[in-house]
Amino acid sequence: MIDLILMQALLAAVPILLASLGEILMERSGVVNIGLEGLMLLGALSGPLFVDYLHYRLGVQLPDPLWPLAAFLAAALVGMAVGLVHGYISTYLAGDQIISGVAINLFAAGAVAYGIQAYWGVAGYKQVPDWAKADPLALAAFALALAGFMWYVLFRSRLGIVIRACGEDPESAFNIGVDVNRVRLLATVVGSSLAAIAGAYLSIAYLSVVTKEISAGRGFIALANVVFANWNPALAVAGAYIFGFFDALSYWLQTAGVARYEITRMIPYIATLLIVAGVIGRARPPRAVGKPFRRE
Amino acid sequence: MKIQTLSVLNIIAALALAFVIGAVLMWASGYDPASSYYSMLVTPLSDRVYLLSALAFSAPIVLTGLTFALGLKAGLFNIGAEGQVYMGALGAVIAAYFARSLAALPLAFAIGLALAVLWSAVPAVLKMWRGVNEVVSTIMMNWVAYWTVIMAVSTVFANPLQPEESVKTPEAARLTPLIPGTDFTVAVPVAYIVASLMYIFLKYSVWGYRISVSGLNPTAARSYGIKPERAVLAAFALGALTAGLAGVLQVVARPPSYSLMRNLANVYGIGFDGITAAMLGRGHPLGVVLASIFLGVMQEGARHMQIEAGTPFEFVRVVQGLIILLLAVQVLRRP
Repeated sequence: MIDLILMQALLAAVPILLASLGEILMERSGVVNIGLEGLMLLGALSGPLFVDYLHYRLGVQLPDPLWPLAAFLAAALVGMAVGLVHGYISTYLAGDQIISGVAINLFAAGAVAYGIQAYWGVAGYKQVPDWAKADPLALAAFALALAGFMWYVLFRSRLGIVIRACGEDPESAFNIGVDVNRVRLLATVVGSSLAAIAGAYLSIAYLSVVTKEISAGRGFIALANVVFANWNPALAVAGAYIFGFFDALSYWLQTAGVARYEITRMIPYIATLLIVAGVIGRARPPRAVGKPFRRE
Repeated sequence: MKIQTLSVLNIIAALALAFVIGAVLMWASGYDPASSYYSMLVTPLSDRVYLLSALAFSAPIVLTGLTFALGLKAGLFNIGAEGQVYMGALGAVIAAYFARSLAALPLAFAIGLALAVLWSAVPAVLKMWRGVNEVVSTIMMNWVAYWTVIMAVSTVFANPLQPEESVKTPEAARLTPLIPGTDFTVAVPVAYIVASLMYIFLKYSVWGYRISVSGLNPTAARSYGIKPERAVLAAFALGALTAGLAGVLQVVARPPSYSLMRNLANVYGIGFDGITAAMLGRGHPLGVVLASIFLGVMQEGARHMQIEAGTPFEFVRVVQGLIILLLAVQVLRRP
């Protein structure tokens, strides 16, 4: 029984880990993006919608394993597009990153509810067909490998020094010839696409359904995890697993009939509050995060 | 003065551009932008009943908009109004359950406001003592409120006669429409008066000054002998009062149901609309009122748009997200 929960925790940890990794990359470069929740929603919708469109409306035939891949690709592209907008606002336009992030969340909440209704003609709930589903374990492996890779890049490579310099001390980075805004924009594009992939994981691998509330606060739990992990991809794995554990525990208690489902559903949120309250203080964000860089 | 005009121009530009991008999205998804926008923006203004209904939609948005605007003044990003609205509404339902007479009305305000303040105390205390960022903590509290209230409404406070909703406010305790045949209740003037009071409070009171100074520069505040921690607590508590008031009024002063829907449909999203209103109103209490009326018109218009043009009403939130995104670009463009 316990090994089943531990397995479930891993699957529940994947979206939180992917979104956390995206946010760590962005914040390490100096851009904060609180639109993770919205990016997840957009990814969760755009993946299934894209393959549905290819399959049913355009009549494209693909070998079966390629369908989920196409869905993830579509979600990643949508995430990149949103990341481009957020990154551009946060860098070259020197806009307000928090407001832009909120706007992504508001826009996504509307766009996903609207998109489900406009495309499928149903109110807020659409099953993902079997041929489009992906194996969640494959994604878990991908997320773990990515965490290792990102840790290596950030802390053991030249590129990592450049990225972190942009987030810690953009002035000095600029003085040694780094194009700070370009690094930040690219980091935001890549990071945002990871959050959208996390969303696509929810709809096509984990829950097999698209709903207008599919992310259910996971984007914000990922934000909490970034602080918990002290902006370190390796620690983010541990954090995501803990948050995933409470998610899995909630579903397990629900199916076991231990408590009403409304109570079990609260568990991940209460756990997040407790964890965040317990670890903060020793966490230190990148010094220039959230501040636009402008050459005087 | 110049800043003010420029800022108004910015807002108009953001609105116009958002509607243009929205039109493209609408067209791409197979709907007619012209007739949709006509139903969304013109139809609500064409009829007295529709217009009063739009004002009724604006009332709770004003109150949650004040929550967020007040938070901004104190340097907070308080997005907990959503959950506090649920708790306020739950308070009104609890009152209706225990008091089946006029007494339910004062009781609704007492319990609803108390619950909302209690809900905001958690992120406030976590921020004070543990330095927890309020963005994450208020969202978590919103979700806990969501499931708490859904459970309460579907168990103890369920309506045995109508399974879709909670117990109803007793007839004696209802604040019925001031103009018969419309949704226009005392909630609308109350919301606008609260906004005016908030304006006076922020501009002329000592506490308003403390909150503003703490938000602008906590270090300077300290050297003036102001404790920024207390200003933050005050902003959380006052914000919870207005958000809780919105929730109470949605139950006791909103025809036709005078109850809380089991899926929270009549309170859902009000807190997030308040964020939009506060940003569109530039964080100014009276700007929040104007922005809320605009959002109220869009919300009333959304119903007509869905019926007349067939465009899903969720589209108004797409446009609102675009407006805020475009405003984000211009925030630092102030001269």
